[in-house]
Amino acid sequence: MENTIQQPLIQVQGLKEYFKIPGKGMLHAVDDVSFDVYEGETLGLVGESGCGKSTVGNVIMRLLQQTEGKLFLQGEDVFSADKEQQKEFCKKMQIIFQDPYSSLNPRKTIRSILSEAYIVQKICPKNEIEKRIQKLCETVGIAKELLDYYPHELDGGTRQVVGIARSLSLNPKFIVCDEPVSSLDVSVQAKIINLLMDLQKKFDLTFLFISHDLSVVRHISNRIAVMYLGQIVEIAETDMIFENCHHPYTIALLSAIPKVDVNDKTERIILEGDVPSPINPKPGCRFAQRCWMAREDCKTQDPTLQEIAPGHKVACHYAAVSRKEAKTAKTTILSSL
Amino acid sequence: MDKKILFSRMLKSKFFMVGAVLVLLIVLLSVFSPFIVQFDPVTNSLKDRLISPEYFASGLSGHVFGTDDLGRDIFSRLLLGSRYSLFIAAAVVLVAAFIGTILGAVSGYFGGVTDMIIMRLCDIMMAIPNLVLAIAVMAILGPNIFNLIIVLIVTSWVQYCKVTRNNVMVVKNAEFVKASQVLGAKKTHIMFRQIFPNVTTQLIILISQQFGWTILTEASLSFLSLGVQPPTPSWGNMIADGRNYLITNPWMVFAPGIALMITVLAFNFLGDGLRDVLDPKKI
Repeated sequence: MENTIQQPLIQVQGLKEYFKIPGKGMLHAVDDVSFDVYEGETLGLVGESGCGKSTVGNVIMRLLQQTEGKLFLQGEDVFSADKEQQKEFCKKMQIIFQDPYSSLNPRKTIRSILSEAYIVQKICPKNEIEKRIQKLCETVGIAKELLDYYPHELDGGTRQVVGIARSLSLNPKFIVCDEPVSSLDVSVQAKIINLLMDLQKKFDLTFLFISHDLSVVRHISNRIAVMYLGQIVEIAETDMIFENCHHPYTIALLSAIPKVDVNDKTERIILEGDVPSPINPKPGCRFAQRCWMAREDCKTQDPTLQEIAPGHKVACHYAAVSRKEAKTAKTTILSSL
Repeated sequence: MDKKILFSRMLKSKFFMVGAVLVLLIVLLSVFSPFIVQFDPVTNSLKDRLISPEYFASGLSGHVFGTDDLGRDIFSRLLLGSRYSLFIAAAVVLVAAFIGTILGAVSGYFGGVTDMIIMRLCDIMMAIPNLVLAIAVMAILGPNIFNLIIVLIVTSWVQYCKVTRNNVMVVKNAEFVKASQVLGAKKTHIMFRQIFPNVTTQLIILISQQFGWTILTEASLSFLSLGVQPPTPSWGNMIADGRNYLITNPWMVFAPGIALMITVLAFNFLGDGLRDVLDPKKI
């Protein structure tokens, strides 16, 4: 990835998604998020549940109306597109959903689910649809006999493969994978991940891979963005995140990955306190309440994403000293990170 | 669901089988009633007044269920009356289901102000007792079959509207609807092709149960002489006619009463049976 001059395929700029909670105020689900996704890469988006990572995916797919912000696909403004243009964008961007049980219409056969894209977009004559579906099945590895089945007759893994096939039906360039494996069991997870990686190579796809499972993300991603409470706190290449992360939240998050080695006496950093409410958040660093190195100015000043090394951005006032302080504060954690 | 599986599930459900067989029998009898009846159901024949059904047992007359106070054959009147009952019920249920479903689907899918207006309208309709409204309207418009159908439609579309709205609201947030949206589908496509097939089960069940309710209400109105007008036979006005003879000639009330009961029961069985048959989790 490092050697070529990379083209951003997707540019997200200042994305905000607020929800009005009657009587309580504004819920800041996504608060000023900006990132680029380069052509052919996989950007992993991680964070705990409720941090807004799925909301980012939904806003990008325009399933939610953005409060503020811009999205460019190959330099074209997506959010300000009219209806016709939007339909064109649908051909370029697709999404794979988390729950393979609710993402397939229970009243439709697999064949009719897969034919929907062609019927809606009218990209090929009707007599060609069957051929296209057959080809799609070959690509992802669905047995043709399954085409006449209903979703409830298939297992979770196969259903998810159907979901993947559907997202590929329009030959998109960019796919948002919204936790595509988190509701599957581990043996099936590996299969789906490998399928996604194969497809990426074959069709030159670009993924935004949303997940809370760090080991899955590490396996598939070229770069990782870590989200906390609606904001990106750190973004860097995968190896950089795992070996040399600087944001205290990332450090704590990574220390929570279970290790196989019994001799590895790494201590987990247990974060104290609860995640603060995203409704009308207080000024200052969102992580300050739970951070072991929070100082006075953390509680008043918003940290912005600062580039601390090429391609490595951190939103922390004390990014430069965080690793050292983490070491002194929690002694042994970092040796194995 | 596969047709074969559906069929085997139908055979398994006792409710469905009993209901379906009875309904089929009733429909066939009423459709072919002109070929079955041997007496004019309308003309009086005072010399044959109040013949009791057991008279038939001794083989002297053809009056299976006896005759009424004007000497008309009750069996003939029962069969021809069923035509009116079933026709009225079918017309009411189909039109009301059509109106209610569309309003409910629009209300559930679009939400917001549209939803509020339609739902308040439903609330108003539900606040007025159906029968009282029907009586009032029939008293004003004058009792005839066309008005009767209108009144019953007005009082029953709310059910379909509420049921459809609730189901649409549940289904519209499913991820497959989002998937359809992301593929670039229009709202009409999403509503009719994606969401609607998921709410038809409940509608079919409701329709078959409403059939029974409509027949019963029509009979009630006819009983109150606000529905089908004599001498046209209807189960409701046959019961009304027999009221005065309840002690001495009970068959005048029993025959239409029991027919009514069996018919309503049959449609309710059919409704319950359909719920079992169409619910993939049952059986």
